Amino acid sequence: MIFRMALKNFLRQGMRSFLNVLVTALAMVAVVFNLSLYNGFQDQAVRNMVSTDVAGGHYRMPGFDLLSPMEWEDQTFKVPDSFSSLSSSDKAEVLVLQGQIFPNRRLFPVQLRGVEMQQTLLDLPFYKLKEWQMPVDDIIPIIIGKKMAGKSHLHIGDGVVLRWRDRFGAVDALDARVVDVVPLINPRIDEGVVWMRLDHLRQITHRENEVSWVAVKESRGTIAPTEFQEPEILLKDILELIRQDRKYAVIIWVILIFLAGISVFNTQFLSIFKRQREIGTLMAFGMPPKRVVRLFALEGSLAAFSAVLVALVLGAIILGWFQSVGLDVSHLAESQIPIRENIFLKIKPVEVVASIVVIVVIMILVAWAPVRKISKVDPTQALRGRAIT
Amino acid sequence: MTQFCSKKMRLRFLFLTLVWGLILPGSGWAEDARAQRLLVEVDKNLWATTKYIDGRLIIDNGRRVRTLSMESWMEGRHKSYSYYKAPARERGTKMLKLDRKLWMYTPHTDRKILIAGHLLRQSMMGSDLSYEDMMEDEKISEAYAGTIDGEEKMEGVQTFVMTLKARRKTKTYQTLKIWVDPVKNTVLKEEAYAKSGKLLKLIFFKEYRKIGHRLFPRKMVFRDMLKENTKTTYMFDKIQFDVDIPAKYFSQRILKR
Repeated sequence: MIFRMALKNFLRQGMRSFLNVLVTALAMVAVVFNLSLYNGFQDQAVRNMVSTDVAGGHYRMPGFDLLSPMEWEDQTFKVPDSFSSLSSSDKAEVLVLQGQIFPNRRLFPVQLRGVEMQQTLLDLPFYKLKEWQMPVDDIIPIIIGKKMAGKSHLHIGDGVVLRWRDRFGAVDALDARVVDVVPLINPRIDEGVVWMRLDHLRQITHRENEVSWVAVKESRGTIAPTEFQEPEILLKDILELIRQDRKYAVIIWVILIFLAGISVFNTQFLSIFKRQREIGTLMAFGMPPKRVVRLFALEGSLAAFSAVLVALVLGAIILGWFQSVGLDVSHLAESQIPIRENIFLKIKPVEVVASIVVIVVIMILVAWAPVRKISKVDPTQALRGRAIT
Repeated sequence: MTQFCSKKMRLRFLFLTLVWGLILPGSGWAEDARAQRLLVEVDKNLWATTKYIDGRLIIDNGRRVRTLSMESWMEGRHKSYSYYKAPARERGTKMLKLDRKLWMYTPHTDRKILIAGHLLRQSMMGSDLSYEDMMEDEKISEAYAGTIDGEEKMEGVQTFVMTLKARRKTKTYQTLKIWVDPVKNTVLKEEAYAKSGKLLKLIFFKEYRKIGHRLFPRKMVFRDMLKENTKTTYMFDKIQFDVDIPAKYFSQRILKR
């Protein structure tokens, strides 16, 4: 009976109820959208890094740091025999050294990154390097990413002088030819990186069988003299960045929920103020004050329950449309975020349910808080409209 | 008696050169020995156990010209200390190189930074010289083995064109080509090559002047041949050889304000 009464009262409020429901529903959709966007963002960033660089982890020399280029030359190692049994889809050998190119006779410091051509573990479109058959006595074939091509003003077929140091420290230089410019979804392996065949890089630097790391599909345990770097360690900065971003996003959620809560609170507050005579009548007819409180609280809570239904409809439309177009974040590639393509939502049912439950609970609380005072109301004063001032 | 003025020694050198040239025609050993002797004579002009230089680096990167003014104290390959006097932005900057480590002190931050290993091979303050080029002083006759390829007239001087091959694999430039005045034992021009044979650097030694028993250039002009329109001129305004350098100059304690 109390539910029917609450529903009737709720519907009778018309526009006020509708606005409450709409605001609460939009808050729910916004929170779920935001959470799912971060999930999608993280998922794509991690997938791009794993498929092009990180794989299932790296075996590196202890202390190797890609951000310390001055130490790259001293942190290489001969590939241990333990890796020889691994197939080309289970490992990828990579050698990273400092170098310089001189496009249009301007100095451009680069990372020379040699990767073995047989490997299929990393998704790198280097077919043109693989096809190169000539020895590297005169010309070295190189591949660069599109971003690097833009910065260095190099195009397919361009020649450029490449300078490096060999294992002993002697300086050497040769002409290099850009055999391909490829789109790389991970800007960390694009900007400032000149890709070469591993055998070529080893040959010109006299680093027979040396690597900076061996990327593997999965850990193979301890292999001396290297240490295994888990993907979580290699992805630490990007995961940390997203984690920080999520923290800031909580502020937005709080504001959204606060606005929706204020709306419901305001409606409830006005209701008990305007409907004092109704409260007094109900009490005069014998309805206990606690029941009157429940009635008004339920009335207010109906906004939250209705909002769930509206949010499902709105969410299906908005999120469905978004999934068809995605969000263009290509501008983030400038800041080394490893995403080039549009990002899409990754909706986790657990998160959706948890978000909605939290919002509904908050709405019930804000619907209940203003009507608590009804329990202390004197029915005679209420009938005169003087109980709540 | 100064080396340069020693007629006796010059005659002896010419005589030996003539004898080797006549007696052992086509002999590689003779050629090498003659070349090596010439390098030793060149070292006597250019190399000293210790050096003090009050000089300027004029860095022209093709768009603007910057002048750095500094004082340097050097002891062989392994010890070097420089103090930058100008421009205002660099004033007070100190660089200390001990063996394979370089410390840079900047007064703005009042901190010293250790630069080791490969950074020594990077361009120094945007110039055409690396820290290595600037702060290492090694005898050319000890670092390289030379051969005389022929003769060439350069700026009115009959010079020997020599090819020098590094004795150690670790030497930055494995091949040098130098134009040497065999009479004055001075280098007029030097080309530094990559292992592949690509020309990397060109150095002109200009305006030789007599300092004590030596002939030393007033300026050296460095050009990075892989870059366009860049040039660095090292002006030796004041230079002293075999000076006593206080031990504190090669101590990290000097890297203070």
